[in-house]
Amino acid sequence: MTCIKESWLTAVEFTPATQLELSRFVAENAQIERRTLCPVGGRTALHYGFSAAEPGVYVALSQLNRVVDYPARDMTITVEAGVRIDSLQQTLAGQGQRLPVDIAQAERATLGGALATNTSGPRRFGHGTFRDYVIGISAIDAAGRLFKAGGRVVKNVAGYDICKLLVGSRGTLAIVTQVTLKLRPRPETSAQLWMTVDNFDEAESRLQRLLTSAARPVAIEVLNPAAAALVIASARVELPAEAPILCVGVEGSRHEVDWQLEALTQELTFPGVQECRQVRDQDADRLWSALTEFQTCADDPLTFEANLKPSQCIAFANRATERGVAVQVHAGNGLVVGQLLEESATIDQTTSILNDLRGLARSQGGNLVVLHCDSTWKSQLPMCGNPEPSWPLMKQLKRQLDPQQLLNPGRFVDGAR
Amino acid sequence: MTTTLAENSQPTLRSRQLLDRLRSILGSDGLLANQEELLVYECDGYTVEKKCPDVVVFPTSTEQVAAVVKACNEFDVPFVPRGAGTSLAGGCLPIGGGVMIALTRMKRILEVNLRDRYAVVEPGLVNVHLTQHLKGTGYHYAPDPSSQGACTIGGNFATNSGGPHTLKYGVTVNHVLGAEMVLPDGSVVQLGGPVEDVPGYDLTGLFVGNEGTLGVCTKVIVRLTRDPAAYRTMLGVFETVADATKAISEIIGAGIVPAALEMMDQGIVSAVEQAFHFGFPLDAGAVLLIEVDGLEVAVDDEAQRIIALCQQSGAREVRQANTPKERQLLWKCRKQAFGAIGRLSPSYCTQDGVVPRTKLPEILEFITDCGQRHDLRIVNVFHAGDGNIHPILLFDERNAEQVKRVLLASDEILAKCIELGGSVTGEHGIGVEKISFMDKLFAPEDLVVMKSIRDCFNPTGRCSPGKMLPTSAGCGNEHVPKVKPGRKAAM
Repeated sequence: MTCIKESWLTAVEFTPATQLELSRFVAENAQIERRTLCPVGGRTALHYGFSAAEPGVYVALSQLNRVVDYPARDMTITVEAGVRIDSLQQTLAGQGQRLPVDIAQAERATLGGALATNTSGPRRFGHGTFRDYVIGISAIDAAGRLFKAGGRVVKNVAGYDICKLLVGSRGTLAIVTQVTLKLRPRPETSAQLWMTVDNFDEAESRLQRLLTSAARPVAIEVLNPAAAALVIASARVELPAEAPILCVGVEGSRHEVDWQLEALTQELTFPGVQECRQVRDQDADRLWSALTEFQTCADDPLTFEANLKPSQCIAFANRATERGVAVQVHAGNGLVVGQLLEESATIDQTTSILNDLRGLARSQGGNLVVLHCDSTWKSQLPMCGNPEPSWPLMKQLKRQLDPQQLLNPGRFVDGAR
Repeated sequence: MTTTLAENSQPTLRSRQLLDRLRSILGSDGLLANQEELLVYECDGYTVEKKCPDVVVFPTSTEQVAAVVKACNEFDVPFVPRGAGTSLAGGCLPIGGGVMIALTRMKRILEVNLRDRYAVVEPGLVNVHLTQHLKGTGYHYAPDPSSQGACTIGGNFATNSGGPHTLKYGVTVNHVLGAEMVLPDGSVVQLGGPVEDVPGYDLTGLFVGNEGTLGVCTKVIVRLTRDPAAYRTMLGVFETVADATKAISEIIGAGIVPAALEMMDQGIVSAVEQAFHFGFPLDAGAVLLIEVDGLEVAVDDEAQRIIALCQQSGAREVRQANTPKERQLLWKCRKQAFGAIGRLSPSYCTQDGVVPRTKLPEILEFITDCGQRHDLRIVNVFHAGDGNIHPILLFDERNAEQVKRVLLASDEILAKCIELGGSVTGEHGIGVEKISFMDKLFAPEDLVVMKSIRDCFNPTGRCSPGKMLPTSAGCGNEHVPKVKPGRKAAM
């Protein structure tokens, strides 16, 4: 959901048709008007981070959406950053390939936006994140300089890896215009095992069992009943949701998937389990999609993400459940997405819950960031989490690459007090 | 400008003061300053350019590294970190002399956490020692450079090392969660995890592969990967290099991602056979070493598909390694191929180009032509599945005219890689060796941004001067012009 209350939504817009046109525009802006620039793709994550201090210019990448080069037999593709995720995946599917990153709102989100927010989903356990697939990048810096890093080959260590730096940089260091991706073959099929367990302790003992499983799952998810209800409603698959859920996903040939479901069922069925269902074919596709969309699906007042060690997730999920939060745990990666429900709709209640949970995350070396909230709350919440030891260095780098503070200033770690 | 410590045997007062300071930080057994002892540190695996540091220090803690770096700043001398010195592009050449920070005494495994799938290690830990330590746990550290018996994890971090299994598992950066760095000003900072998605920029990703230009890495937090349940390792034998490259293209094009896909041509095969007596066919034009891994129920199907594709591409035969011992021997042959080259020639020079995988036939043909044109013998052993070529140019370094031809041929091959849409380095790094290629691979704007990043963290240029970027701030980068391509160690 987009927050329409943001004042900068009334900002002027500029929609370049080419990289060169954008480069000239940014260069001119840097010399003359010096307005702040806010690069936008599918506008699915405009609410991320702190509010902009002043209305700036929206730089819309929507017309930069061409496929530049798709040498399918090399398993790489070079596309402009404004390409929509669904259209990209469709192009790749035509060659039996994919970008194996789960991206929510694929019918609106663009590659550039997903990359700038480092979006991911349940299958990051098996396939990694954007940093594992971006091998080349072109971008325009705050001075209007069109530059590139990396290249179009899958292995390349020439120069600094600016691709990594720009992944997740939220449009604060440069405007990404073109991306080269490493691709993977599409699996023949996928499936999930959906298991209800007596309590969170039973989920944890199964997570430990999975560490040496004979199968090689691509996703390990834990949901509390509140989150499970939202997920199955969105997936339109009939599944139990009255107890904590362990959901394990596998991919591969039909033969591999069958074998893994069998192996996982045997390994995870011991006292403490209630029901165990296999989710397959189209149901599995819809469940993947629902698990991916969970972080964006709510009209609720606030969505957060905590990052922890995997071993701390269950205790965290337990506490969050006690505080009335719907939680989805990417248990293999130590990430917890939480949605505060309508009942906690005041800033005081929200602050109390978040302080409690952030404290828990911090005590274990983790952190907690707010993905989405009522825009009027932003100034009162640590949107980007508590300060990390490397933040001063990041602020220094932001000043170095954008000395006039033109690219989304104050909206990411540089806006944290 | 930076001054060198002691260009001759008459140390100045100031350099004596620095030596005293270093001694007080490290103790008298924590440094080397005798000319004879320093000779060991005059180069890495890239032996074309040599330069002794003025002093080598062997810190045992982050605090000592930070104190050394602060002293270097105070005395205005350059410093350069070094692991095992196996790098192949001159990454630890001490340009301008100064202090070399050898991290080989910081080699502890500080933590192994299997539940959370990470390990924290010191930079001087030898890559294979981590693998050995993890044996039996069901987990391993995936990057496996061929030099893994000697190279260090800190060095792997600095150069973003690859290895044969990067085709499926990725290079070093895909397996690093975080790091502790001593920055060029002597401050200490923790980047990234053990936890994932630390809020802010991915500085860990930026610092991996920095070739020592952004600071000294003092701890690495690496991700541990589940061991594959099963392997199938095959040897495809082909009449010609062209048939072998066709098979590579067919395998990748069919959407199969083998764990490794390596090629050795006839020249290498005969040297390896003499050294290890594996039973390689000496009359074959090329062999492919192919490994698939995964579930026991899946590897046979995948192996059969690969065998069929090899046969369609004209393979004479495809052998399978039937026992773990056979598999190990095959890999030993591959990983120690460079050691066997001594049987072919007194000296050799390896290049590290990359091309899109479908351009492999083109680049290999070019290399053959190039060898003929310059009257040089060139043999090939490389990571075919990644398109990462390692042509090895054989020569005698006593023959100056031949040396000139080797340099010319190397440059032509790398220029061709760029022309085909590739890169001049897939895993060895730019170092000093390929610095002149940076402005051929990148536009001036690209280099301005890279330089701006370096200046942000290393404004004085005292940390690893003269590396990676063609224009170097501060310190003298007027390094020795290329005179001879040196004999190289392991790859």
